[in-house]
Amino acid sequence: MTFDADATPVALCLRMPASADWGFPSPLEDVSGQIAIAGVGEADHTKASGRTPRQIAAQAVERALADAGLQPEDVDGIMYTPFDGQQLTADDYRAHFGTTHDMWVSTQGGGMVWAGSAPHEAALAIRAGKARAIVNVFSVAWATQRAEMMGGPGEVHAAELFKQNLEVPFGWFPQPVYFATIARRHMHEYGTTPEQLGAIAVACRRHANLTPAAVMRDKPLTLAQYLASPPLCDPFRKEDCCLISDGGGAYVMTSVERARDLRKPVVEVAGVGVGNSRTGAYWSQQGDFTSTPQVFAAPGAFRMAGLTPADVDVLACYDPFTIVSLMQIEDIGFCAKGEGGPFVEGTTLHFDGGRLPYNTHGGMLSHAYVLGIAHVVEIVRQLRGEGAAQVPGARVGIYGGYTGPQASTLILRRAA
Amino acid sequence: MKFRDDFPLPDTDWPPTAEFWAGAARKQLVLPRCDACRRFVWYPDGACRFCGRTQLTWTAVSGRGRLFSWSVVHRAFIPQLADAVPYVTGLVAIDEDPAVRVVTRIVDAAPAELRVDMPVRVLFRPLEFAGVSRTVDAPVFTPVSE
Repeated sequence: MTFDADATPVALCLRMPASADWGFPSPLEDVSGQIAIAGVGEADHTKASGRTPRQIAAQAVERALADAGLQPEDVDGIMYTPFDGQQLTADDYRAHFGTTHDMWVSTQGGGMVWAGSAPHEAALAIRAGKARAIVNVFSVAWATQRAEMMGGPGEVHAAELFKQNLEVPFGWFPQPVYFATIARRHMHEYGTTPEQLGAIAVACRRHANLTPAAVMRDKPLTLAQYLASPPLCDPFRKEDCCLISDGGGAYVMTSVERARDLRKPVVEVAGVGVGNSRTGAYWSQQGDFTSTPQVFAAPGAFRMAGLTPADVDVLACYDPFTIVSLMQIEDIGFCAKGEGGPFVEGTTLHFDGGRLPYNTHGGMLSHAYVLGIAHVVEIVRQLRGEGAAQVPGARVGIYGGYTGPQASTLILRRAA
Repeated sequence: MKFRDDFPLPDTDWPPTAEFWAGAARKQLVLPRCDACRRFVWYPDGACRFCGRTQLTWTAVSGRGRLFSWSVVHRAFIPQLADAVPYVTGLVAIDEDPAVRVVTRIVDAAPAELRVDMPVRVLFRPLEFAGVSRTVDAPVFTPVSE
């Protein structure tokens, strides 16, 4: 076969898995400064509680409404995820509050990546007059359900047939094993150390110790304790991995104009970005094994907001494992790729004087495993000055959402 | 969610990966390759992701590769692995195309000897699980000297 360079289709060349081609951003309309998060609420975060996800969600919504000073009928839009069939729907909302009003509905809400991207769709709906106030809500009862399942959140992966037939038979399962493998590769490529991963776990635990609602409020963790902890799936220890808990959260969005008439200081949505990985949830095949789709999500969010990482006062990232925090800190742009390890050492991530206060409620490692919805609640509280581990004078905060296939960047700003 | 009684053994009849397991039964590592652009397509979840064509042929590879990364699993996350822990599972980048990473077990090596990117070669061993009477031969890997 002869090779004729001129005959090589350009499109073929572009589709080659060059290192920068493993993912792409979603195109999003500019919604900067149009809506605000006017009310936030968390359900009780607990170990196995016997509650259903809908009961948990309803409690979170009640608290978000009270925080905003809104009545149940004032909220005429609801966002949730259909993924487990157990979330609070519009019918559940009306039944719980005893109303009959019409509600705009989106199933592109909930936790994980959607806790960060939901405000974009909500802004479009509010702008188009489809709703005046929209609640995004998410809850889990995985601590309660754990005994009935394949080990809780692993089930969705075990049920996926490529994973079931090419990964699970080799014991490459569930998520702690995926991310331990990613962590080892990150250590190889960049020299990341257990002490650096431990610094993330310790900062999160310290914040949880200061946060009344955190599951791990009464359990301190030192770096020495972290390092002495036995391997779970090496290089991970138990403390590299998130909790399993029952809980949930909710936040209410409305126009900035209307938010100014409500109870709380106005926290506006300044920018939103969404990034995608071409290999979806097949972590084993992701072109850049030690990155997250934040590299595709964050630039658009900063552009929309007219801000840079240097403007950020407080960060909260979806943190199923320490390494996912580290990668997102790099991929959002707070340090160069590969320098996350040295960056997080010491007290960088601590609320009181750290260079990048991080997961100031404790995150999923130490606050609650409610898949990011409580992270957004925490960022709003920080920007209002209501945090339990309050960052002094915080005005710009970010939530980094993650699922594997996607990442989202939500930039919030306290309005002037 | 109800899983098959022999979970976590693979379903060797599931069409998208049946050839992989049939190859393992013959002690061959076979992977799907695009007839048009000759690239390996892993996982085979549709058309060739490089050129969009749909004709793939399962092709025997050398069974040589590099240890891309791994975890030493100490906790049995599912009860069927209770007798297996601690075990080493990870990814091998095959020599024919290092972008293709095969999920596997690493055997016949102490975890402390393992190094990222070290050369490995395929072996075939039965997958055995607590409470599952059947076994299935599978491609696993072991280190080789440079």
